[in-house]
Amino acid sequence: MTDHTNDAQTTVLVIGGGVGGIKAAMDLSEAQKDVLLVDKAAAIGGLMTQLDRTFPTNNCDLCTISPHLSAGARQQHIDLMPLTQVTAVTGEAGDFTVTLTSTPRYIDLEKCTACGECHKKYPECVRFYPGLDHRAPTCMRYPQATPQAFSIDMAACKDVNGLVNVCPANAIVVDDQEKVATRRVSSIILAVGADLFDPDKLDHFGHGRYPNVVTGLEYERIMSASGPTLGELVRPSDGVPPKRVAWIQCAGSRGINREDVSYCSSVCCMYALKEAIVTKERFQDDIETTIFYMDMRTFGKDYEGYYQRAKDQYGVRMVRCRPHSIVPDSTGQQLHIAYATDENSGMTTELFDMVVLSTGFRPSSHTTRLAEILGVELNAHQFVRGGNFEPVVTSRPGIYVCGVIEGPKDIPETMVQASAAACMAARHTGHAGSAAEVESEYPPERDVIGETPRIGVFVCDCGQNIGGAMDVDAVVQEAAKYPHVVHVEMAGHGCGQEALDRMRQMIQEKNLNRVVVGACSPRTHEGLFQENLRKAGLNKYLLDIANIRDQNAWVHGGARELATAKAKKLIRMAVGGVAQAGPLREHRLPINKDVLVIGGGVSGMSSALALGDQGYKVVLAERTGRLGGLAAIIRRNLEGDDVRAYVAQLVEKVQAHDQIEVITNAIVVDHSGMPGKFQTGFQIGPRMYYRQIEHGATVMATGALAHRPDQYLLGRHKAVMTQLDLDDLLETQPEQVSNWECMVMVQCVGSRTADNPNCSRICCQSAIKNALRLTDLNPDMRVFILYRDMRTYGFSEDAYIEARRRGVIFVRYQADIPPRVTADGDRVTVHFHDPILGRDMEVTADCLGLSTGLLADDETTEDLAAIFHLNRTEDGHFLEDHVKLKPLDMSVPGFFVAGTAHSPRTIRESIAQAQGVAGRIQGLLAQDVINLGAVVARVDRDKCATCLVCVRACPYHVPFINEDRYSEIDPAKCHGCGICAAECPAKAIQLSCFEDAPIMAKLEGLLERIA
Amino acid sequence: METFEPVIVAFCCHYCAYTAADMAGTMRLDYPANVKIVRVPCSGKVDPIHMMKALELGADGVLVAGCLEGDCHFKTGNVKAARRVTYVQTQLEEIGVEPQRLAMVTMSAGMGTRFAAIANEFTEQIRKLGPNPVAAARKAQAAPAPVAQVN
Repeated sequence: MTDHTNDAQTTVLVIGGGVGGIKAAMDLSEAQKDVLLVDKAAAIGGLMTQLDRTFPTNNCDLCTISPHLSAGARQQHIDLMPLTQVTAVTGEAGDFTVTLTSTPRYIDLEKCTACGECHKKYPECVRFYPGLDHRAPTCMRYPQATPQAFSIDMAACKDVNGLVNVCPANAIVVDDQEKVATRRVSSIILAVGADLFDPDKLDHFGHGRYPNVVTGLEYERIMSASGPTLGELVRPSDGVPPKRVAWIQCAGSRGINREDVSYCSSVCCMYALKEAIVTKERFQDDIETTIFYMDMRTFGKDYEGYYQRAKDQYGVRMVRCRPHSIVPDSTGQQLHIAYATDENSGMTTELFDMVVLSTGFRPSSHTTRLAEILGVELNAHQFVRGGNFEPVVTSRPGIYVCGVIEGPKDIPETMVQASAAACMAARHTGHAGSAAEVESEYPPERDVIGETPRIGVFVCDCGQNIGGAMDVDAVVQEAAKYPHVVHVEMAGHGCGQEALDRMRQMIQEKNLNRVVVGACSPRTHEGLFQENLRKAGLNKYLLDIANIRDQNAWVHGGARELATAKAKKLIRMAVGGVAQAGPLREHRLPINKDVLVIGGGVSGMSSALALGDQGYKVVLAERTGRLGGLAAIIRRNLEGDDVRAYVAQLVEKVQAHDQIEVITNAIVVDHSGMPGKFQTGFQIGPRMYYRQIEHGATVMATGALAHRPDQYLLGRHKAVMTQLDLDDLLETQPEQVSNWECMVMVQCVGSRTADNPNCSRICCQSAIKNALRLTDLNPDMRVFILYRDMRTYGFSEDAYIEARRRGVIFVRYQADIPPRVTADGDRVTVHFHDPILGRDMEVTADCLGLSTGLLADDETTEDLAAIFHLNRTEDGHFLEDHVKLKPLDMSVPGFFVAGTAHSPRTIRESIAQAQGVAGRIQGLLAQDVINLGAVVARVDRDKCATCLVCVRACPYHVPFINEDRYSEIDPAKCHGCGICAAECPAKAIQLSCFEDAPIMAKLEGLLERIA
Repeated sequence: METFEPVIVAFCCHYCAYTAADMAGTMRLDYPANVKIVRVPCSGKVDPIHMMKALELGADGVLVAGCLEGDCHFKTGNVKAARRVTYVQTQLEEIGVEPQRLAMVTMSAGMGTRFAAIANEFTEQIRKLGPNPVAAARKAQAAPAPVAQVN
């Protein structure tokens, strides 16, 4: 590896290549910043790539993340260093010098084609990774690993010469050495994630001793199509499909015993529900699923509905208890779980085929060392400490943090923090070269319109990958006979630099105007070959790839004749298709770089500041007369900070900022345009004059409403108040409050109900916060908290423990038997059922505090959704583009969402979203033009019968009937699915790249001998 | 008589089924070479004309493969595709072609095994049905003349 000490300091170092690190790196590269992405493993991807599916969509993970990974490998701004660790850091924000130590891989990344010959012949030499046991079919972590290459454990290899000879690409580097390099970087993002708890340490659960006790991740691997059993769910002990599976929650978390940690890992409830649902989906009535849990913590956006579906629709059985132990039966195949519940006295024992331990996150020992090297502070649980109001800022300036290493969190929250960290880290970099400069290096495109097709066919052998399975010579000879083919050759490793040079030379020499490559999958290599055509002066859409490796050679490895015949057909189809292809123009627009932020609460102001500090001009539009939103009336957060003071200084900063213009009393009335070129009209009070604002991107930060349902005498008895009222009273009248003898709080008032099914996420923390302040004022006060599930996720569990330690009494109630309240003079009497005592109780209290949570601002979001064509959830929150991978983007390009308009969340979590949105926007606006791609639907106005079929069919409501009375499709808004083209009865619509003509030509090519 | 080797066209959506087919290759799963894939951006792009044309030109079976229900990359393309397939099946029945020659299937991008299993099952199903009657008729018609030029 070369030493890059002369680099300009425009580079951001990202440590850790899990989803968080990848997202941060991608966001930075989109913003034209250079990124150095290091990971101690041989391939990036982290934990997520080992999961079978992700909640709440139950999507397969590989499908969602692999495009990100391969894109990550392609991005020109990202320098990827696998098997590398940071061993020293000196300097300061803006100019760090880092020392990077790389372990030898013994494989030349440039040469390895991931053919797997080394693993087939010498499996012991190839490195394995956690979460994938020895029965796995591949030792890359998953089939789409990036870099797509193996890694050798030379120490374990006995026959080194044999190994070297078995590699057809000569990629084995026997004398590979540890390498040390120093690099200068301007800022650092720490995204190393965490380990999963190893339950072998818990002797009562027997993991490691009983084969049928597995961890959640091991269960994912068993269920995964790329896992050790190829997705067959079987009991590890004897390979028999299980009939009864149990999950035990909080294994190693929320505990006080040896090896336990006190905090909540935040994700295990959801993953256990997901695993149980997926199990049920696959096996329906043939399998029973039971989850043993303490509190079901489904606090995320729409997660509560997922929990209810698991119970009601899928029949996942929920048992509230913490099981005592797991003991195998006499055969060793089945497992006894012994447990006690509130309802029944004494122990119950049940028999299960498999038990899944829901283990949570633990910072790895490696992290502690890394924190020392970087000089960043850790918290009491050895996670990296972020700021209370600056969630991704560490104790050392210039070093930022995101993802699980900052605290337990799920994938969307990790993605949010990653974008926020990208935004913050970018502040320290100078300006890097923009994409437009690279483009201009290409020669002008040759005009091929009107020319007879002159097709060149290049057939890869990909080492033995293709060549070993078929007769490539015969394929080449056959291809020469196809219509319009004027040149055919074998291309060896077609994706190699040599072959690409040769292809460009042939395009020139033979005056080719179309190219077919017989190669691997276009999913991975289309971009590469397209770019090569472009370099040769051809439009990049004059290419077709015949997938003769992944979909042929690898499938029919044992049947040479079949594979050869099929390859001929696949190339014949591609030749037919490409002959019909024409050059396509990608749609580009100059970008307006101003940003409109709607909503002047903490989220809107934080977004505006983050963007303004990057030099973008921001218009911050607030519907009311003042900035601050809901947070302006909050006094304290759980950590005890003065929220009002924080909001006040935020308002001051926004108002003093040169780049930010604040407009208040502003109501959105109209909107048009496309990303990079929006126009939004406002009526601005008090005179309601009209003003139009032009902007390139839009942030929706419209917040939510503090709920005040008409329940429990709220508003009718002065002893009844919400947690927000109580928060204020604690600051304004502490003397009065300290005289109270008894306080009762009721959780989930107006949340998790039929009217408002979701969890408000913040109320458990608010109740504990106020309970602690009450007991601070008067340690003798009796405080009761009536709850359904305590959802103090992450480190807020510590506050819950503290409240219990101080004697706050927590009593669970069931949704169908809620507490009742009656007036009793100045006081109120609360009636409830105590499930542990098994009897009805009455408590007379000085105050009844209701945890009423947040409610979507349904009217506002409905209006704005109609004006901007945005999507909403059923309960009226704005809907993000992708729950997991694009939690900040909205489905309409150029729109982003932050804060409680997205879903209920804390101030800190809202700030992370607000800064994350700024990170996303900085990527969008770094371009001078916006490339909308070429795959868009086009209408032939002469054929259009104005039948409205396309208008109705489009999932994005893009087509409309224009003034000239034919359907018009705005290429800037078209997503390129082609549904309208397929539905159009007059065939007036064609989808570029996938027109009817090339599809028909492919069919004709395939079927010509038969006709 | 040698075994009948049907020709099967599989229109696969780029985001799920096509990726699943690649995955089947990565996993080295064997499935019949009879299945030839045409990549489309979304199963919702597959026009009834494409399905009919494939059969008209002599394909013995046509698969339309999209994302799992609810997971369509373009929201509802797979639902529309399924509806179209059902519609074309009724048309096939009317003109005397077995509607089973056309099928809609769904899978996620990770389901390489499912892709291979479907390819196997569908090929067997078509093998049992025998050659496409349209192709047979065309062959009989075209027999005296030389092979039709398609390009």
